[in-house]
Amino acid sequence: MQANEDQLRSWMVRGLGGDAAAHAQLLRALLPLLRGFYRRRMTGQEDVIEDLVQETLIAVHEKRMTYDPVRPLSAWLHAIARYKMVDSFRRGGRTCGFDEMEGAIFADDRADENDARTDIDRLLATIPEKQARVIRSTRIEGLSTAEAAIRHSIGESDVKVSVHRGLKALATRVKDSMK
Amino acid sequence: MNTDELIKALAQDLKPVRRHALGRRMCLGLVLGSLASLFLIGRMLGFRPDLWIAMQGATFWMKWTYTISLAACATAATAKLARPDSGSLAWLWILAIPVAGLGIISINELAHTPPGDWLKMWLGASWRVCSSLVFLLSVPIFAGLLWAFRRMAPTRLRAAGATAGLTAGAWSATLYCLHCPEVSAIFVLTWYSLGIAFAAMLGALLGPRLLRW
Repeated sequence: MQANEDQLRSWMVRGLGGDAAAHAQLLRALLPLLRGFYRRRMTGQEDVIEDLVQETLIAVHEKRMTYDPVRPLSAWLHAIARYKMVDSFRRGGRTCGFDEMEGAIFADDRADENDARTDIDRLLATIPEKQARVIRSTRIEGLSTAEAAIRHSIGESDVKVSVHRGLKALATRVKDSMK
Repeated sequence: MNTDELIKALAQDLKPVRRHALGRRMCLGLVLGSLASLFLIGRMLGFRPDLWIAMQGATFWMKWTYTISLAACATAATAKLARPDSGSLAWLWILAIPVAGLGIISINELAHTPPGDWLKMWLGASWRVCSSLVFLLSVPIFAGLLWAFRRMAPTRLRAAGATAGLTAGAWSATLYCLHCPEVSAIFVLTWYSLGIAFAAMLGALLGPRLLRW
């Protein structure tokens, strides 16, 4: 939120003076900043992020009395945005301080990621090695069929067929394991 | 609700915010709460009959200097914590100055009193009720501050609750001086401070619950 500090502040000060247009301009300018702020910290939850952005805008509006014009606006905004984020976590049923919270969030993310990786490894080990390799290249690493063909020195059609057979086999395994 | 509509709705009927609006609102909360406490003192305890005479002596002003300096520091800290970017509170260590000052006066008083009278001096005539009354009289002031805080944006809720409690306790003690005829420094240092500390503890306990926004 460093960008345009002066511009934002002048809108804020004019808004405090009762200038509705400046106030609206400030809130609109905050939108991308707040979306960026929350996206960097809580990826993959667009609806939650938009709710938070709206709540923060409301807070900026309702609590504008607490802004001291001689102090940087960015610090004030950051503090509100952080508070709203922690508060939303807290409402989600957690009760702990911000620092523990941040640790917990990242720890959880990593744990999930690790779990997912282990699951994939385990499943891929159950199908023929060639199929597993091409699935890894095309579906996990994101190579194209042609690139995968070159890497594994096999024909493109062989890649396609192997991926197809492998996925089919995996689907059956998963279905079986869920029965 | 669409975010653009939200912004439009928020900017509509925008009321200007007066300069120092935060300070004004805090003061208003404090004054209203204090008036309620003052009313309670008048109705239930009564002002000390010799108040006018006492106000011309040093003891009364020793007590007020103590409670008012605590109250002033606590009020400033509370006003700071009412903002989201509250900054450092390390300066609150200056609260140690009035406490230490009163401690020195207490020791000096004890040194000039025969040890046989120390207990009487420490307990006075009202030690049983003093702390509780200071604490109880702080409740209306605390309520006034809570009202003020409804438009504030504290982000350190426990600290804000604690300083709000401390503020309420210290102002309550200041008002209680208008009733309490006790004269010894060690009495004030013990029983007044205890009541103020209770108020601060209650504030710290309730802060996270009551100051959320």
